[in-house]
Amino acid sequence: MTNDALQTSTIENQQAVCPIIKVEHLGKTFGSHVVLKDIDFEVDRGDVTCIIGSSGSGKSTLLRCINLFETPDSGRVLFHGEDIVHTKNPDKYRQKVGMVFQSFNLFNNYSVLKNCTIGLTTVLHIGKEEARARAMKYLSFVGMDGYIKARPKQLSGGQKQRVAIARALAMEPEVILFDEPTSALDPEMVGEVLSVMRTMAESGLTMLVVTHEMGFARDVANKVVFMDGGVIVEEGAPEEIFNHPKEERTKAFLAGGNK
Amino acid sequence: MFFERIGSILQNYYPHILRGVGYTMLVALVGTLVGLVIGLLIGVFRTIPTPRNKALKVCKKIADGILSAYVEIFRCTPMMVQAMVIFWGFALLNDGRTLDVTFSALVIVSINTGAYMAEIVRGGIISIDNGQFEGAHAIGMSHTKTMLYVVIPQALRNILPSVSNEFVINIKDTSVLNVIGFMELFFQAKDIVRSNYLTFETYLLVAAIYFVLTYSITLLLRFVEKKMDGKKDYQVQGSQNMDAESYAIEEGGRRHDQ
Repeated sequence: MTNDALQTSTIENQQAVCPIIKVEHLGKTFGSHVVLKDIDFEVDRGDVTCIIGSSGSGKSTLLRCINLFETPDSGRVLFHGEDIVHTKNPDKYRQKVGMVFQSFNLFNNYSVLKNCTIGLTTVLHIGKEEARARAMKYLSFVGMDGYIKARPKQLSGGQKQRVAIARALAMEPEVILFDEPTSALDPEMVGEVLSVMRTMAESGLTMLVVTHEMGFARDVANKVVFMDGGVIVEEGAPEEIFNHPKEERTKAFLAGGNK
Repeated sequence: MFFERIGSILQNYYPHILRGVGYTMLVALVGTLVGLVIGLLIGVFRTIPTPRNKALKVCKKIADGILSAYVEIFRCTPMMVQAMVIFWGFALLNDGRTLDVTFSALVIVSINTGAYMAEIVRGGIISIDNGQFEGAHAIGMSHTKTMLYVVIPQALRNILPSVSNEFVINIKDTSVLNVIGFMELFFQAKDIVRSNYLTFETYLLVAAIYFVLTYSITLLLRFVEKKMDGKKDYQVQGSQNMDAESYAIEEGGRRHDQ
């Protein structure tokens, strides 16, 4: 499989301004339940950051705050240095920040191909032919170019997720957020999706991945963030986090995972 | 004997019957379609996220209130009474000049159906998984585009059985419009009976005609539903760069080693 396709187009429009995303003192509560407390971290261009931690630790909420699906109660989310929490145009911002969901969220009323072109034609106003060519490029990258006429309900979970990744890639965003992309899949399908994600990482895409796949975090990420109870307990290179965790909580979490 | 009488009704009065069928179907069809459009507009308007701006928020609240009043008033009163109130109300306000009967019939059935459709559409939109909205927002679609390209098409498919139900009800319920002198099928039947005195035979024939009309519409819309669901199978084309099996071996092996 070639990654040239990805490198030429997606990386091109990434500006050299670093970091792409900077989160400052982010806080979020649902009612009286504090989900995120004073979160600080940043995503640089080309980073593959994995956020790990037990369920309910606030990982997904953090991701959803970055994508403005949730409005943070305090703190800032900077995109190329500009605070986007109170932006007038979240749609414009989301064009540049892709998202892949645990439950795929493919459009049930469209074929595989149309799932990937609909954003290009209606949001980016790209012509039909060009949109189709671009969608085909990314569908073949994820190995789903043979299924362009299929409807989402006719696909397996792994195939759906690969199409969802192609849909996100086709928008050629600057960063792609993954919200537990493999949690709804059986082990074989987990393999096919992780393999695609690994190739994306190798091609230099900026990725922010919430995951329970410790193997993926260890092998592919260049930065691992461990969250617990709404705070970042520890962050660093995967080698540090997995082999020499400093915090007791991190050790306990990783030990539990290896049982 | 009996069938002869039925045959003679058909023979002598077929222009009346055809005209009645024509008026009935015209009002049922237009009423259902316009009602669906009204329902879609209200349903979509109600799902607009509450604006942050205070003035807009108040406007939205007021508009929501007016729409609720419309829906509830028309759902909670009989169409026959609505027809009388609107038809004679207009006449009262215009010095006794009445509206064209056919036009009144179209308006009454449309706004009555619109009230029901608003609730049907609301249900249809609620039934769409939140993930569809998020999937659309995630690629930068605005609320309008999300509704237009993703939610409404799916909602329409989901509500089609209810819409066809409304259509069937409308075909039958146009008969109440005889109170304002609208010449639909029931009105024609009354007219026929007045001259031939074959009350039972005439109404039995009309009942059969109503049944044929409603049942064929039911079958037609079921066919449309099937069409909308698309083909059950699909063709895999060309060669795949990847397939699930090669992955499973490559990744699975590595994963179990850990």
